[in-house]
Amino acid sequence: MRNFLAFIRRFRVFLLFALLQGIALTFYFTFLSFPRSQYLTSTSAISGTIFEMKHDLTKFLDLEENNTSLQKENLDLRSRTIENLFRLDNGLVKVDDTLHKVQYKYVPGEIINSTHTKRNNFFTISVGSNQGVKRNMGVFSSNGVVGVIHFAGPKYSIVKSCLTEKLNIAVMIEVSGEHGFLQWDGKDSRRGTLTGISNDSDIVKWSKVVTRGSAGIFPEGIAVGKVEKASVVEGMPLWNVTILFSENYRTVQRVYVVKNLLKEEQDNAESHIPVDPQL
Amino acid sequence: MSQIAKHTLRFFLFFLVQVLVLNQIELGMGIQIMIYPLFILFLPVEMGVFSLMLIAFALGLSIDALSNTFGLHTSSLLAVGYFRPLIYKLFAPRDGYDALLETNIFTLGTGWFLKTFGLLIIIHHFWFFMLEMFKLNEIVFVLQKTGLSLVVSILICILLQYLFLRKSNEI
Repeated sequence: MRNFLAFIRRFRVFLLFALLQGIALTFYFTFLSFPRSQYLTSTSAISGTIFEMKHDLTKFLDLEENNTSLQKENLDLRSRTIENLFRLDNGLVKVDDTLHKVQYKYVPGEIINSTHTKRNNFFTISVGSNQGVKRNMGVFSSNGVVGVIHFAGPKYSIVKSCLTEKLNIAVMIEVSGEHGFLQWDGKDSRRGTLTGISNDSDIVKWSKVVTRGSAGIFPEGIAVGKVEKASVVEGMPLWNVTILFSENYRTVQRVYVVKNLLKEEQDNAESHIPVDPQL
Repeated sequence: MSQIAKHTLRFFLFFLVQVLVLNQIELGMGIQIMIYPLFILFLPVEMGVFSLMLIAFALGLSIDALSNTFGLHTSSLLAVGYFRPLIYKLFAPRDGYDALLETNIFTLGTGWFLKTFGLLIIIHHFWFFMLEMFKLNEIVFVLQKTGLSLVVSILICILLQYLFLRKSNEI
């Protein structure tokens, strides 16, 4: 016991250092994979208020660009029929108003704080669980996909943006239908990569990349970017496709959070997939 | 102004400048400006390593709370607090530090500042970017980020001292 106390006294500086490091690093690594508390994030009431004040001062800087893109989107929507409806049957029976059922609803929000230079970039948006925002909902803007909700506080939420390491949104190349996952290498905030695309298919340069809508997080067909180049992954029958994001993550302000009303049903059905199929 | 009030005021100034101004600046090539280790450098010489680490922990947590880094800044600033007494001992002037003088670029000279603060900020930046990437095969990118951010951060820290510190006087 005496020796033990002497040991603690001898290394007390290093022990305190190790203890505090332990706290900080535990918090960092647990929050990256599974967020639990809203303290020490930008969703807490104090930091939310500070960012709201900052945003009030700086939002005018990108106003023109944002207005232009919103106007473009309005134009696009006016020339289009409603596509976010879910067909209940295959067109054999025609009964008024029951052919389609709303599958997706959108919550409008505003990005009040964002980073672009880090390895994992998170955006703070000004809607939260009071507006029905939950974890793992998709977030997109008028130009394209922005990210997925990582943590929802009561008034503010954190979005895990497309500029993070392990986001893995299911996307596809629009014409050919080849699908893969969206990833980011941490270097250029204008370019991302697609993984998992088999190299027996031809990739056409500048073909559009859109969301696949398979996970129920995004509706199908939300723009992600355009194919810039494709290179062969060494030793694997896969393309490494570089895409140019259609959204400029430095200036984006207005976003929509996707609420999928049938998500629970889809998850329920998919939970019946056998975990370890005997092949 | 009393020492405690001065350093408390500086705590909030460094915190606000880092969160509201420097975190929003994007220079490209992975450069991220972080000047708050300067606050740890300015703390009195005779301050013990325990108080240094606790103050560093508090400042790091406040910055983390507003930049969505969940503990990255805390961890790297803590390292600065831990290594400061060792580095101060390493580069001590011949007749020791004057306990009454603040340790800045004017009282101890540019050479001392570049050596001490340079080493502290190398530890801080390398620790920060290494933890952020957390992959050994991206070490070149980590070194690029560390090296470039280092230069910009040190330049801004020198500029700040020339702008806001009067020679041989406080604030």
